[in-house]
Formats: sequence, C-alpha cells, structure tokens
Amino acid sequence: MAQTVDITPTTRHEGHAKLILEVDGEGIVSKAYYINTTPIRGFERMVVGRPAEFVPFAVMRICGICQTTHGIASCSAIEDAIGCEIPEDGRLLRELTGLGSRMHSHPIHHLLTLEDFVKPEEGDLKIEIIKLIQSMRKVGQLIVDTVGGEGIHPPNIVIGGMRTNISERAKAKLYYALRQFEKDAYRMYEIYQELIERFLEEVGIPDLGSHDYPYIASHTTYGDREAINWDGIVEIPPHRYYKDMKIAESTSLMIPLYEGVPAEGGPRARLVKFGNFRSGGGAMDINIARAKENLGAVYRALEILDELNINGKTRVTPEYRDGSGIGVHEAPRGMNTHFAEVGREGRIKSYRIIAASNWNFPVVEKAIEGYPHQYAEVIMRAFDM
Amino acid sequence: MDPLGSYKSIISARATDKRILKRCQDGGIVSAVFIYGLENNILDGVIVADKEEGFRPVPKVATTPEEVLEAAGTKYTVSPNLSVLKSAIREYACEKVGVVGTPCQILSLRKALKYPVGFRHMVDKVKLLVGIFCMENFPYMGMRIIVEELCGVRIEDVVKMDIGKGKFWVYTRWGEVKSVKLKKTHPYEQSSCHVCTDYTAELADISTGSVGSPDGWSTVIIRNERGEEIINKMIEEGYLERRPIDEGKFGLGLLKKLALVKKEKNMKEIEHRKELGLPVPPDVCH
Amino acid sequence: MEDKITVAHVQLSSCCGCLISLVDTYEKFLDVLNSIDLVYCQTLMDAREIPEADVILVEGAVCLEDHHALEVAREVRKKGKTVVALGACAALGCITRFAKGGQMPKPVQGSFSSLTEIIRCDMAIPGCPPSPELILGVITALIKGDEEYLKPFRRYAVCKCESCGCDLIINVVNKSLCMGCGICSASCPTRAIEMVDGRPVVSPQLCVKCGVCSFQCPRIEI
Ligand SMILES: Cc1cc2nc3c(=O)[nH]c(=O)nc-3n(C[C@H](O)[C@H](O)[C@H](O)COP(=O)(O)OP(=O)(O)OC[C@H]3O[C@@H](n4cnc5c(N)ncnc54)[C@H](O)[C@@H]3O)c2cc1C
Ligand code: SF4
Ligand code: SF4
Ligand code: SF4
Ligand code: SF4
Repeated sequence: MAQTVDITPTTRHEGHAKLILEVDGEGIVSKAYYINTTPIRGFERMVVGRPAEFVPFAVMRICGICQTTHGIASCSAIEDAIGCEIPEDGRLLRELTGLGSRMHSHPIHHLLTLEDFVKPEEGDLKIEIIKLIQSMRKVGQLIVDTVGGEGIHPPNIVIGGMRTNISERAKAKLYYALRQFEKDAYRMYEIYQELIERFLEEVGIPDLGSHDYPYIASHTTYGDREAINWDGIVEIPPHRYYKDMKIAESTSLMIPLYEGVPAEGGPRARLVKFGNFRSGGGAMDINIARAKENLGAVYRALEILDELNINGKTRVTPEYRDGSGIGVHEAPRGMNTHFAEVGREGRIKSYRIIAASNWNFPVVEKAIEGYPHQYAEVIMRAFDM
Repeated sequence: MDPLGSYKSIISARATDKRILKRCQDGGIVSAVFIYGLENNILDGVIVADKEEGFRPVPKVATTPEEVLEAAGTKYTVSPNLSVLKSAIREYACEKVGVVGTPCQILSLRKALKYPVGFRHMVDKVKLLVGIFCMENFPYMGMRIIVEELCGVRIEDVVKMDIGKGKFWVYTRWGEVKSVKLKKTHPYEQSSCHVCTDYTAELADISTGSVGSPDGWSTVIIRNERGEEIINKMIEEGYLERRPIDEGKFGLGLLKKLALVKKEKNMKEIEHRKELGLPVPPDVCH
Repeated sequence: MEDKITVAHVQLSSCCGCLISLVDTYEKFLDVLNSIDLVYCQTLMDAREIPEADVILVEGAVCLEDHHALEVAREVRKKGKTVVALGACAALGCITRFAKGGQMPKPVQGSFSSLTEIIRCDMAIPGCPPSPELILGVITALIKGDEEYLKPFRRYAVCKCESCGCDLIINVVNKSLCMGCGICSASCPTRAIEMVDGRPVVSPQLCVKCGVCSFQCPRIEI
C-alpha cells in the first residue's frame, strides 16, 4: 500500500523545510519532495536601487553560517560588472577568509550530522567529537574574525578588495592556530570515516542516497567564473519543475538546472571534479568528502599565509560604470553565484543569487528516492542544507 | 561618597626612563605603564592618542615602546580612542590590550565590558584601563582658537600644551611659552563635558593626572588589584620612582576639591537640563 | 536536573547567525548546554514541537505573509514564561527592514516586522548578531535571576525601538551629549561609523539597522 510520509519540520539544518515522501508497500520512497518553507526576505529585490557598497553587507545576512561566501560572491560580481581588479594581497586575504568560513562551517555540519552516526550510549565519544568540532571551529572563526573583521558577517570584505591587511602578530597567531587545526582535522577525518563505515554496514545499503545527476563545481578552495559554462545554467520557477501545483506553490525555491538537469554541488562535487574522489557513490560519501576538505582548506590557508605580504595593498577604490558581472565562490555547501547589474552611479539595477543549497534541494529529492524512507533525513543532511 | 571614587591607595610617581620624561605630559605614568606592559608581556597592544599635523589627534593601536613614546603627551581635544578598540583585537590580533582614556572613555569601555553586544571575543582581551584626570575637553577647532587666537601661536609651532595653575599653556618649538587664563577658554569647551561628573576616571584600574603632585610628577590613584600589581612591580624594578602624596591643601586636598567642584557644578547643569526637558546621561555601571 | 531552567530556541525569519554566535562560545558551549535544559532548537536537535519553557529565545523577524510564522509567534508567547527577542532581526527588524517583496517564487512575501512589534516580548537584545559573551551573560543572568544585569534588555523590549545609526545623531550628537569616546564606531558590525571631529558620522549606505551603536553609547538611557 502506497502512503505519504510527512516530516515537518526537518531538523538539524539551517532554515525551515519539510519532506513529503510517497512511500511504496516496502517502505521505499518512490517520490520525494523537499520543500523549503523559509519565508523569502527577498535579498535580490532588496538591493535594487541601493548603492553597491550596501550589497555585500546585506547579502551576507542571508545566512549566518556561510555569510562569508555571500560577501565574496557579491563583491566579485560587482567588481566583474565594473571591471575592477583587486590587488593580489586583497585577493589572498579574501580567499583566506573564505577558507576560515569553510573551516568553521564544515565542522558545524559535522555537529549537525553527529546524532545520525553516534549511538545514544556513546556519550563519551560524542563529547570528544563535540570538543574537537569546537576546537576546529574556533580556528576557522579566528581567521574570519581576524581577516574578515567579524566571525559572523565579516565587514572587511568590500568592493575593491579587503578593508585592511593583518599585522605580523596576527599572521603568526593564525599560523599556530592552523597547525592545531591540521591535527584536529586529521582526527576528525578518521572518526568520520569509521562512523560512516559502521553506519552503512549496519544499514546494509552501501550506496544509500546515490543519484545519477552531474556535479557542479568551479574550484577547490575559492571560485572561478571561467570554469563554468554559464549558458548552460538556467533557473526555473517551481511551477515549471514540479507537476504538483500544491508542491510548487509551497516552496520558496527557484530550481537551478545545469545543462537541463539538477546538479550536485559541494565537497564531493569539488573533489570529484578537481581530484580523484569516487563519483556516483552514496550520499554518505559527501560526509567523508567534507571531512577531507577540512584538510585541503588548512593546507591552502597555510600556503596563503606564506604568499601574503602584510605590507601589501589590499584594496582599490572602485570606479563605477555600467555593466553586469558574475561572482562565484565555492561555499562550504556548494557553488554560490551572484549576478549583478550595476548602473553608472554605482546603483544596483538587477541582482540574482543562486545560493549553494538551491542546487542541492532538487538533488536531495533524487537521492532520497529509491531508499527506505526512514533514511530520508540522514540523506538530506549529508548535503548540508 | 569619596569624590575620587573607590581606590586602594594614592601616590605621587614619575617614570625613571629619560626617553619617556622627555616626551610625556607630567610624570610619564601612562607611557611608562604601557611600555613596561609591552616589554614584559603583560600587554601586547595599547590604545593611545597619537597626533597628525596640526595637533590633530589620531587614535592608534601601539604595539612597540617606540609607538607609545610617539603618542605621549596630552592632546587637549577629543581623541575617540575607543574607535580602534576592535581593530586592536581583530587585524592586530592583540590578546592583552591596554587602553588609556579620559574618564568618559573609561566609563564607556566599562559599559562595553559589561554589555559587549557588538564586541565579539573582546572582554577577556582588555587587560588594563588607565584613566587620565579630566576637567573638560575642547573640540578640535576650539583648541585651535585657544592656541592661535587667544595665545597667538601658529599650531604648527606647538610642541606641548598644558593646563595648570588656572591657565592654559602653550609651548613652542622656538622655546617660547604663552598662556591664557582658563576663564577665557571656557567658551570653547565641548558642551557635553558639562554633564560629566567624573574627574578622576573612577572606573579605571589606574588613574593619573598632574593635580596633587609637584611639577614633573604625577598623582597616581591605584584602584584595584590589577592596578596595584603592575604599579608595585614597576616601583620594585625601578621603572617608576615614588614619593608619598602630599596630603595637604595643594596635594590630595586640591585633587578632592577639584573632583568635587566638577561633580557639583555639573550636577547643577544636569538638573538644569532636566528642567528644560533635555535628556541627560544615564548612570552607567555605578 | 530539576533546578535547571528549560530553554528553547526558535528561529523565525533570520540568518541563524544569532544562534551561531552562541555556539561561538566554543569550549564553553558545552558548559552552557550543561547549565540549562535545552528543550527545543530545530537547528541542533530533533524536537519538532515547541514545548513549554522557562525561556524561549527567538531569533528573526516575522513575515506577515507567512501564516505559519504568525502562528509560531503566538505559540511562543503562550509557551514561554520569558520570551527573549534575540538579536536585531527579532528585536528591531535589522536587515529585514529593507525587505519589500517582489522576489520569485514568492513575490508576495515582503512585509517583515520585528517580533517585538507582533507579540509582547519580555526582553530584547540588539546586535547583528549579539556577541557570544553577551548572549552567555544574559543566559547566566537568567539562570541566576540577576535582574540588575537584565534591566536594559527588559527596557529595550518595550521601547519598540526603530533602530538606525541616525539614532546616535538624533539622541546623542543633537542633544549635546556626545563626548566623542568612539565606542559606537568600534561596535558597528558593518563599520558604517567613522569618527570625524570627534563625532560619529554614519554612512546610511552601510547601516543595517542593528541598534548596536546606540545600545553601546554610554550617553543614552537604555
Ligand atoms: C582633555 C584632557 C584634560 C585633562 N585635564 C586634566 C586635569 O584637569 N587635571 C589633571 O591633573 N590632568 C588632566 N589631564 C591629564 C594630564 O594632562 C595627563 O594626560 C596625565 O597626567 C598623564 O600624563 P603622563 O605624563 O602620565 O602621560 P603620558 O606618558 O604623556 O601619556 C599620556 C597618554 O594619554 C594619551 N592621550 C593624550 N591625549 C588624549 C586625549 N585627548 N584622549 C585620550 N587619550 C589621550 C596619550 O596618547 C598618551 O598615551 C587631562 C588630559 C586630557 C586629555
Ligand atoms: S570632561 Fe568628562 S566628558 Fe568631557 S572629555 Fe573629560 S571625561 Fe570626557
Ligand atoms: S540579527 Fe543579524 S545575525 Fe541575527 S538573525 Fe538577524 S541578520 Fe542574522
Ligand atoms: S550604524 Fe552600524 S551599529 Fe549603528 S545601527 Fe547601523 S549598522 Fe548597527
Ligand atoms: S558612543 Fe561615544 S562617540 Fe558615539 S555617540 Fe555615544 S558618546 Fe558619542
């Protein structure tokens, strides 16, 4: 007998959402709807007519976990629109801030998925992992605080570069913090590999949450607009994507498609496209890819500290002119893209955002389908929504 | 209540380092404390008021003794020292911050330490609050009028300003000294000072000023253990020399009198403002 | 266990940054969790129904075109002994003051009000987000019943403040109260305030209406 399972609200992720699952007699999901019920604050329209400087500060407030990525994507879209080249040291500091953000966001996501893999009786292990997570997050946020100016909504990311450079003392402090992170990240990677291996063994479905949609990623640690064929990307209203009008009307999401289909963004997508990570596996692979990316992030951050000239210029004064541009940054959860059209006086004419999780909403649905319904949330969480 | 607020002890003191004495305002207490703190890892960054051309004050995060020395000496105009508080703990990454400020700035910082709404990870990094006595302050152009119009000195020639013995003094780099009676400078005071009832930075760890001690010496009010520890160490290690405070009419007596005068005079102004239906500053952190 | 106060965290239209700020107490976060009984927090745990609680921390503004949000607001008032509007979106509107709708696929959603405008809140905390230390301070004071510490937040909840950097100009500079300490400038999360001639100059292009600068100013009654 087919039935509908309704999970409202879904928990342990950012924002508000629900899952509506059509389930067959065996308990297998035949159709999944992952509906974003978060009211739309309307950042794309909010910034129209406002001066460009306001935009990065506004859009950061889309998300309190990955504000940095919105700040970076926003600034680079506007810089692209007006043809502004930012100084090399500004670029390095920006990338570093983005990495700091990743280094606190990935661990917080481990915190959210933890309950899926640790058993109730493993209290000590749980405490150990939480401590590890907080120790890693502290380093990530130290970077965003120091380089970005505030750990949450970093104001040093400005159009034209970065507001200031950092002091010698700050650089040294970051170096030692990164070395600590490196150790913690290895430990975390080990723990996550074991936990997930055990989980999949117990579940008995090695490819839990697999799907056969493509991956989308532009870069490993930063973002590269040249790496993407923009003509292949469209965003359609849910009314066109879902056959069921009720579903279409309830979600707050526009559906992005790459070459006509949904595509997965995030840690696995990046590691598959730019590394040798296994493609086509189950969704739990994403959890492992995420833990692995912590290591990639810390090594790149150390490299940046080496390359950075603390006396170098970090910012140019932007000169506004008509134009439109694209800004891409690889958010912790996937490729984040901002499109800006700027007028001569530096006012925004139009603005569009394809946030990282927009990509993954339709993919989550595909990944849930074909598997037992009780794993729907575990699969969803692997995507970091 | 004591007109000086609560404290543990009061002494007269002066720095022993000649470099400090050459550049400081009175006994060089502020600079000496900061340099001692930086050299002994008690502090790793201090917020001071440096100056630009035309004696324009610029708040600065100093991380070396040289930078502290450059910023020594009183600027008789508003220097928003706390405006760089966040950069001290962010891009400078300081973890042991010392701050010098006028009584109002010390009060403002105490409030921020109690309610750090907009100050992430700041509270445990502010280690020392040094307050300087203050009867009133002047807007920048007010100070210029006093220097240029009342004393007749070009601002670029000024090396030092001072208030004492009822007068505002201006020292030029040509060795001249000009002065004007304080009565004549009153019209140029910033009006927000007239609702301020704190003369001796009652909420600081250490407060210092010239009043109560002989020329070239400073009066030092040690208010709590934190302040006591550092001053004692500095005396022990010879960074400061001390003498007992003159308890008499021109020592502690004068200090208390001035503190009380400020309180009474400005309380009257506060009452007057209330009568006019104007807002007055709240009691914060008392 | 019996003595612990029960605390719920409810998210309305917000970015979740206020909760993250609390989590940014790092190693102390476990102590926080141990000192209270966290009964609801959709971002961190699986409870799906808002239970009765001694304290409900609410972050985010209320979308008037979202029926569910209005219901949650009412429910929170019913179930929480003490309702705290946590952060500027809930306390003052903050960035949602700029929202006006028009965005696909729900162009109608465009009216956001602060929680303090929709229900009676017992306390309100400005800041975008309030610092980890401040949130910790409030929670500690709630546990201890330290009313002296909480007083400004109780007042803030009823003042129905509209906030903006301009408040500094109107309430402090224009009233001859500003003495130029500069704390407002340092506190601003978007660095919208520059000190010029010892006075704050607010760049309206950068202000997100978080209320921090005024709250931090020692010369305004809060
Ligand atoms: C506006 C004003 C009014 C004062 N009124 C009195 C008074 O009535 N009676 C009295 O006894 N003393 C008064 N003082 C204090 C006195 O002038 C000296 O600053 C104090 O004695 C410290 O001297 P020092 O030699 O120990 O410090 P120094 O070693 O010279 O160091 C002084 C420190 O104060 C900082 N500073 C200088 N100007 C300012 C400013 N405007 N705001 C914040 N920080 C600043 C400097 O950067 C330096 O670090 C006043 C100071 C100011 C700024
Ligand atoms: S008189 Fe008071 S308000 Fe004025 S500068 Fe001095 S301490 Fe500040
Ligand atoms: S106040 Fe700021 S941090 Fe808090 S929810 Fe609103 S935008 Fe996010
Ligand atoms: S000026 Fe800054 S601190 Fe003040 S309300 Fe605006 S954003 Fe907040
Ligand atoms: S915080 Fe200080 S500088 Fe800012 S308005 Fe208030 S008194 Fe003036």
